[in-house]
Amino acid sequence: METNKQIPEKGAYEASSKNSFGDGAKASKQLFIEEQQNILKNIWVPVCHESEVPEPYDFRTSSIGNENIIVCRAPDGKINALLNVCPHRGMLIERRPQGSFLEGQASGNPKRITCMFHAWQFDMRGNCVYVAREKEGYQDRFCKDDAGLRRLRCNVNFGGFVWVNMNDQPVASLEEWVGDAFSSLEGKINSTPLEVVHYRKEFIDTDLKAQLLKTPEKVDIHSKHSFFNFGHFMTEDRRTGANTDRKKNSFPTPDAMQSIRVNLFPGFSFHLDGPSLNVATVTPVNENRLMVEHKSLVPQVESETDRSTRTRFYNANSGPFKAMGHDKPKAAVQNEEKKQAVADHLLNEWSRWMDQHPDGESRLSDLTMRRRRNAILDKDEDLIGPKVVVIGASHAGIALADRLRKNGFSGKVAIFDRQVGGPMERPPLSKGFLLGGGETVESKSLLRQKKWYKTNKVRLNTQTSVQAIDVKNKTVTVNNDDIVKYDKLVIASGAIPRELPDTVGMGNSFTLRQPSDANAIRQAANNADSVVIIGGGYIGLEVAASLRKKGMDVTVIEAASRILARVASQPLADHLEQLHRDNGVTVFTGIGVEKINKEDGSFESVTLSNGEKIKADMLITGIGVFPDSKLAAEAGIETQRDDGGAILVNEMMQTSDEDVFAIGDVAIRRDQVIAVESVHNAQETASIAAAAITNTLAPTLQTPWFWSDQYDTKLQSVGIVPVQDEEVYQVVRPSKREHGMSFWSYKGLELVAVEVVNDPATYMEARQCLDTKRSPDPSQISSLSYSPIDSGGGRS
Amino acid sequence: MTHESQANMEKSIEKLIYRAALALDDHNWDDWFKLCDNEFSYSITSFSPEINKNMTYFSGNKKELKGLMDMLPKHNTDHSPLHRHTSVYTVDVADDGKTADAISSVTIYQNMLDGINSHIDSGESRLFVIGKYIDKFKITDGTPKFMSRETKIDNRRLDKGSHWPL
Ligand SMILES: Cc1cc2nc3c(=O)[nH]c(=O)nc-3n(C[C@H](O)[C@H](O)[C@H](O)COP(=O)(O)OP(=O)(O)OC[C@H]3O[C@@H](n4cnc5c(N)ncnc54)[C@H](O)[C@@H]3O)c2cc1C
Ligand code: FES
Repeated sequence: METNKQIPEKGAYEASSKNSFGDGAKASKQLFIEEQQNILKNIWVPVCHESEVPEPYDFRTSSIGNENIIVCRAPDGKINALLNVCPHRGMLIERRPQGSFLEGQASGNPKRITCMFHAWQFDMRGNCVYVAREKEGYQDRFCKDDAGLRRLRCNVNFGGFVWVNMNDQPVASLEEWVGDAFSSLEGKINSTPLEVVHYRKEFIDTDLKAQLLKTPEKVDIHSKHSFFNFGHFMTEDRRTGANTDRKKNSFPTPDAMQSIRVNLFPGFSFHLDGPSLNVATVTPVNENRLMVEHKSLVPQVESETDRSTRTRFYNANSGPFKAMGHDKPKAAVQNEEKKQAVADHLLNEWSRWMDQHPDGESRLSDLTMRRRRNAILDKDEDLIGPKVVVIGASHAGIALADRLRKNGFSGKVAIFDRQVGGPMERPPLSKGFLLGGGETVESKSLLRQKKWYKTNKVRLNTQTSVQAIDVKNKTVTVNNDDIVKYDKLVIASGAIPRELPDTVGMGNSFTLRQPSDANAIRQAANNADSVVIIGGGYIGLEVAASLRKKGMDVTVIEAASRILARVASQPLADHLEQLHRDNGVTVFTGIGVEKINKEDGSFESVTLSNGEKIKADMLITGIGVFPDSKLAAEAGIETQRDDGGAILVNEMMQTSDEDVFAIGDVAIRRDQVIAVESVHNAQETASIAAAAITNTLAPTLQTPWFWSDQYDTKLQSVGIVPVQDEEVYQVVRPSKREHGMSFWSYKGLELVAVEVVNDPATYMEARQCLDTKRSPDPSQISSLSYSPIDSGGGRS
Repeated sequence: MTHESQANMEKSIEKLIYRAALALDDHNWDDWFKLCDNEFSYSITSFSPEINKNMTYFSGNKKELKGLMDMLPKHNTDHSPLHRHTSVYTVDVADDGKTADAISSVTIYQNMLDGINSHIDSGESRLFVIGKYIDKFKITDGTPKFMSRETKIDNRRLDKGSHWPL
């Protein structure tokens, strides 16, 4: 029944509808942000029409949510959508609304998308084709192949529109998402190529949800309307008297009379109104502002008269200067029931995306489900077999991938690391790297050359942070909530340097673990004359030596009674302390830090427990690390303590979950007394885990080894010195080499560890002894004429 | 045409353009039509760098315009007056003295009255449109009249209730 009632106020819908949209009349900023995130970044958006980029190298810019995008036509005619953001420093690349890359611009080459900031260049598919100073600036750590513009999902369909979805794994394909909504329109608008002849934009002071509520006003009693999935609906106006089956009345003839409107959620309207297709698209600008863009499309090829007929019709009925249009007397066309049905349809869809649906329906959980499915399908189709996912691409993670392949593993291997660039070795970071001239050190320090990953089919994902582990579903969540499935998971997340509470967030204060930390120290040191290093462990001492070599004034503060108290024997520590003093380093031992003093938020000085105040230009804290086991603990995997500590593993490096392994600095065997943070430990634990995963023979275990370089002194140590054990004693063995010597640690007659200074040959002998469980006679080892190898001394 | 009569004609065309602006500002359609030839045609056009096309937003002849103008008060929801600031840049009188072309710059301000919330908005002046008048004239017995006017606007942002003629 036709009524004369006015459309109810928004509040009335809210009260009458079963939806609970309790945010009141005004949309909050939060709501706006959520609409951008939840809705706009997950749906298909018709960003432009193919006729707007008619020729190869033509482009058109647009935005979805708060992301800038660029649509361009490749030389092969294909249309691509790319994120219009430079991967170098995140600058907006192309600023014009439309144009062509065919001719070179002042700041760019022909046929290239060029970032004006540092001239990186991209082709029409977004591949990076030129990086300024690539080789000199980045060596092999970075390659332009890795630096393309982000390609977005993009389809051309339904009358030649370019549809883009910001989500790589959308809730539905474009065709699924549109469903049958275009069924009445498709035949007509696909019957001839169209082109955009009108464009204008309009701003409305409202929010998306309020605008949705206004949509029903366009529905009137004369129209037949149909609802579709995903909040779409279609109305067909019967009043025009048009028999749309008759050619004369039907688009594309210039005197066509039909009126069919397809409304895609949340605000894309395709109105075939007589002789033209009028499209309106909504873009929320802020919490109280919407932009509506209007376009009109007509057949590309037609006579001038026909074109003018269409233009006049459009201008009179839908153009910005139409005389009447919006002022239709409303009372005659109201239909309460239909309006309510449309309003409910739209608000239901809105609430599904915003997780406010009264029946708990959620598009976002649909998305997660779909991702899971996609993750299971996965890439690397040529690889069959189980999939190993590795968290952390450092010594342990890379060694594991290497070992897996060497053991004949033919399944998929994916490594995730949040670091930028090719994975690097850590030891050089405190040594040669800090001395500048580091570029050669850098390229030499890659754990593997780029080619290796390709050859070994190891999928390395850098700048990708793993955010959660789900052991039940055997998945990990990475970066932007993507779900990756695994059959075996290897946690090689390493350790995080400890900080003093006072130094957190302080300027000119550093810790050292990752290449980026080393870079920061290197740069700061170039502008500094003095440094205080808190912590007399290996890293602190190596940094001290490197910075001293640079000519800086260096002070090392160690709270324990001697340096290297946790890891080295007393005689070696004494030897190294003297070495540092001889090189001009001030070393404090047995003295704590009372206070760290700041000036303008930056480090200024330290006050020692003895009251002494030491000023310096920068501070480096090297007081040890703690295992990065948070993800594991949160996933219910057993760690040393409820609140963290290392991940507990068995002799196969298997955690409390049989499909999850932990290796390197993050793991500790249940029977292990002290954690050993070293490259050797990372490699060995990786080999053990790889053997367990591939069901191959476990490697023969080596005695732990370690090395350190300070000034021109090379230290190599094998075995672990039980520093707490009072029964352990050291015997010094001189060396044939200049400045060489070694410290042999015994417990009783048993050799437990050897620390060698500047004497690789002796180190090899010591290692052989320990590997073969041979204990040379401690009373003779100080004599150079005594050979530890030929002595025949077996362990008693 | 003598140099002097040409200069006089240019002056009268300039005056004609300014008079038209006043008539339009005052919604004095009859006075405006009196300045136009019977064959007069009017259009609002724009170039869109977004779609790289020339567009016609509105077009009509004198008869159509008259018909529409009669309905205007009934259908416009926004009665905020427009204020045209016009500067005539060039006037070119044909050698035979029968026709002329002129290009003027036009800036149109809108003095808010009842667009959305008159309580808040009324009284404020906003920049409404910038563009050019591209005019053609017919000169009969020394009197110029508008033959056509193309109002070529730079705006592509045009909100609901946009006024015409500009
Ligand atoms: C400056 C320095 C010098 C050293 N010198 C020596 C030496 O001379 N000799 C020696 O034997 N040892 C040395 N070490 C110790 C040795 O480097 C470490 O024991 C070794 O790096 C441990 O390897 P790992 O793979 O277990 O962990 P790490 O090297 O700590 O690597 C862990 C990786 O996991 C990544 N990661 C963690 N969590 C996530 C996540 N959620 N998502 C994505 N990625 C994640 C991190 O970004 C990191 O790249 C040195 C260490 C440092 C820092
Ligand atoms: S920001 Fe684009 S090249 Fe540097």
